[in-house]
Amino acid sequence: MVLLRSFIPTLGMLLLAAGQAGAQGVLIDRSEIRFISKQMGVNVEGRFRRWKANIVFLPKDLAASKADFEIDLGSIDLASDEAETEIKRPSWFDTVKFPMAKFVSSAVRNTGTDKYEVAGALTIKGVTRDAVVPITMKKDAAGNSVAEGSFALKRLDFKVGEGEWADPDTVANEVVVRVRMVLPPVK
Amino acid sequence: MTTAVTNSGATYTRTAIALHWLVAALIVGGFTLGLSMVGLPLSRQKLQWYAWHKWIGITVFLLSCVRLAWRWVHPPPPPPPAMPRWQVRAAHWAHGVLYVLLLVIPLTGWLFSSASGVQVVYLGVVPLPDLLPKDKALAGVLRDCHVWLNFTLLALVCTHVAAALKHQFVDGDAVLTNMWPAAISKPPR
Repeated sequence: MVLLRSFIPTLGMLLLAAGQAGAQGVLIDRSEIRFISKQMGVNVEGRFRRWKANIVFLPKDLAASKADFEIDLGSIDLASDEAETEIKRPSWFDTVKFPMAKFVSSAVRNTGTDKYEVAGALTIKGVTRDAVVPITMKKDAAGNSVAEGSFALKRLDFKVGEGEWADPDTVANEVVVRVRMVLPPVK
Repeated sequence: MTTAVTNSGATYTRTAIALHWLVAALIVGGFTLGLSMVGLPLSRQKLQWYAWHKWIGITVFLLSCVRLAWRWVHPPPPPPPAMPRWQVRAAHWAHGVLYVLLLVIPLTGWLFSSASGVQVVYLGVVPLPDLLPKDKALAGVLRDCHVWLNFTLLALVCTHVAAALKHQFVDGDAVLTNMWPAAISKPPR
């Protein structure tokens, strides 16, 4: 906990799962939520600067494991200020009405050596859809668990990019979200 | 041209002339497109213009490499004998800097695009590697570099054109006619 505390001040976003003996937090400044969308056939990368996660990973008790996220959509980092302004508008994220995206896990399954699947409900712009995120777990030199996974979502399912932007030839419907979470070891 | 023949007997090859004017047209187009596209509201058209601008830039880079290689094998004609020494030296340096800009400007554009997190896909077909990881602050610096190098290029191209016109209409030598497209049909190669 003392070690962890040093990560808290910068963003103040380190959340520990409450009431769980084996609770794990997230080293927020070493973790990231990125995404890649295709604009007219060109990969455009972005990320979110602010988000919170409540992650419990217990390989021997997956039923008690979970990964819940709250993402501040207004904290998006895109190619230009113009794009960042545009995506907050009502036809995209509509951040005034829907400032946060959420993922609430419902099940964590083991699918192989160091491989897991996190199933849950993803809510963006008031629309909730099921999502399954395949995860690979590794250990880094410091003994942290590093969870890496990616999944594709369809932006139009969530009404992200409406009107003139609905055309998937301009901005592809599919957006690949890449998650990398560094989880400190259980004490 | 009689002057050219009596002066040195040497001129540019057809290939050198064709490449010179092709690159000239591309940089005028790419520059104009670059200036116009930044002011467009975010739209499909804007994305398309950015893509075209990048394709032009990469093409200029590739053609400039070809030109340098061609120039190495086919040296340009010597300067007119009457040309003062300082002018010969100035022309030499100006051409050198022009070549450097033709290579460096597309590269700064590519670096800027990479740092912005936007991939470059040449002609919409060939994905180029991202030279840098996404970094917004660095992207801003690279953008400024790209813009200022372009205005340096503009100034240098204006000087280049003015010097060519002076050779043609004041000095009356063959410097401009050697590079004029009409010469393509005359000299060998």
